[in-house]
Amino acid sequence: MATIDFKGKTYEVDEDGFLAGGLADWDEGWVDYVKDIEGIPVVGDEHWKCVNFLQDYYKKNGIAPMVRIFSKVTGYPLKKIYELFPSGPGKGACKMAGLPKPTGCV
Amino acid sequence: MAVPATKLKEKKEIIDVGLEEGAARLTYERIEQVLNRVINTEMAARMKVYVDTCIHCGLCSTACHYYLSHGTPESAPVGKVKQTMWEILEKKGKVSPEFIKRASIIASTECNVCRRCSMYCPYGIDIAYIMATVRRICHLLGVTPQYIQDTAHSHSATMNQMWVKEDEWIDTLQWQEGEAQAELPSLRIALDKEGADIMYSVIGPEPKFRAQLIYQAATLLTAAGVDWTMPASPGWDNSDMCMFTGDFEMMGRIKRTHFETAAKLRVKKIVMGECGHAFRSVYDAGNRWLGWKMPPIPVIHATQFYYELLKEGKIKIARKLKEPVTLHDPCNIVRGRGLHEMMRYLVNATCENFVEMYPNREQNHCCCAGGGVINCGPPWKTKRVESNSIKAEQLAATGVHLCIAPCHNCHGGLEDIINTYKLNMHTMFFIDVLMKTMEIPDSLKA
Repeated sequence: MATIDFKGKTYEVDEDGFLAGGLADWDEGWVDYVKDIEGIPVVGDEHWKCVNFLQDYYKKNGIAPMVRIFSKVTGYPLKKIYELFPSGPGKGACKMAGLPKPTGCV
Repeated sequence: MAVPATKLKEKKEIIDVGLEEGAARLTYERIEQVLNRVINTEMAARMKVYVDTCIHCGLCSTACHYYLSHGTPESAPVGKVKQTMWEILEKKGKVSPEFIKRASIIASTECNVCRRCSMYCPYGIDIAYIMATVRRICHLLGVTPQYIQDTAHSHSATMNQMWVKEDEWIDTLQWQEGEAQAELPSLRIALDKEGADIMYSVIGPEPKFRAQLIYQAATLLTAAGVDWTMPASPGWDNSDMCMFTGDFEMMGRIKRTHFETAAKLRVKKIVMGECGHAFRSVYDAGNRWLGWKMPPIPVIHATQFYYELLKEGKIKIARKLKEPVTLHDPCNIVRGRGLHEMMRYLVNATCENFVEMYPNREQNHCCCAGGGVINCGPPWKTKRVESNSIKAEQLAATGVHLCIAPCHNCHGGLEDIINTYKLNMHTMFFIDVLMKTMEIPDSLKA
């Protein structure tokens, strides 16, 4: 387990850089941090729509949504999701939203 | 004379809930009972013959990327056998819970069962099989890393590795069909089409997160004029992490479902996407566990399928990639099944400037993600990447920025290595390359 110091706050992360404490440790500062490491220039309303949706879904279901559901609820086609999160829905968007790293071949 | 003291790099102990809680539940009696059952019945005399045949020559050491990266005796294949199966046989199964936990760590996170060492062994001892048997023992004792165990649970609950529900699977295919039709209006992803020539099967992460791979495959199959279908019921996922946890009963069930789904659709053959371990599970491990010497329905890997389509002129290359590329040979389709020359045909047909990495073909170094190691999840990531500095050197020596790798786990493993060692490289599947280079007939376009 490692820690990240960012703008005066300390976050505990797993070795893939996902927030170890999950949503309980998540805050806006974390979004700002992930923005930098993911090479996202500005976090806009569209990113926030995705983050809010992922957190809602995770709270209800205990798992990250299929990209299909992600697309249907946000209204963004798959290409748009990759434009918003260059490393994809599983690694980029879930990380920013404070979800754990998905299991499986990812 | 004493060797001067050197400060060893301090290593932090990795905590994995699956191993800690599993080992805490064990008793000596249970360990002995399970070990002897596996050694005396399931494995018959094989383990003892392997261990007794080994002359400790050490030729396997320099075949292993863990040894080449760490240079320590315990990271050599023979060292891993010494610390696990050797002791189990020597002590006739009388080992401690702590020993089982350590054995699980060695077999699940310090070996990719890539079989490079088996190739270098003068006696042909299948060291990967010994490690897989250690995993089998740890599975039966309930001491398996948590992340990969979660994936195995998904397989048993849903018949796919990412907890995808049946309606979500169908919805995803119809969604990708819709998105692809914007480009090719006549494109169909036909579900459950009985009597189609080909059933196309994928692995869980494709519908879950990487749906573009399904879009691309549908585009290729449509452009090539292939009569194909995808199943609407469980059996669409060809992957099999149970093979790597040692849960062979589940491995068999997953494989049977996959083949039965194809049989129900009365297809002539199964084509599977660009995945290495899933290929191993259908041609080698799963079919044999079920007592089938060969798969009951012919099954081919995507790379062979692309090769055949190109050879038969069903797809044509309109433009080649100009950027220099290198190729990573995935263990399971190359050492396992000899597809390396077909892959080179593909690279040369689609790319102008192909730079081989050395060693290559069946001598290639594993990505260190395979064999279920990346599936053991975040706790083991740093160790996994540090255990493959040899791969970083091999990639860097090519001097190119694009690496083709026809396997999902290889992508994950190579990307971690590329990012950690700052190699300024990116990875592509063959389907990504074909989408950029192949001709899409005008008659199909919008």
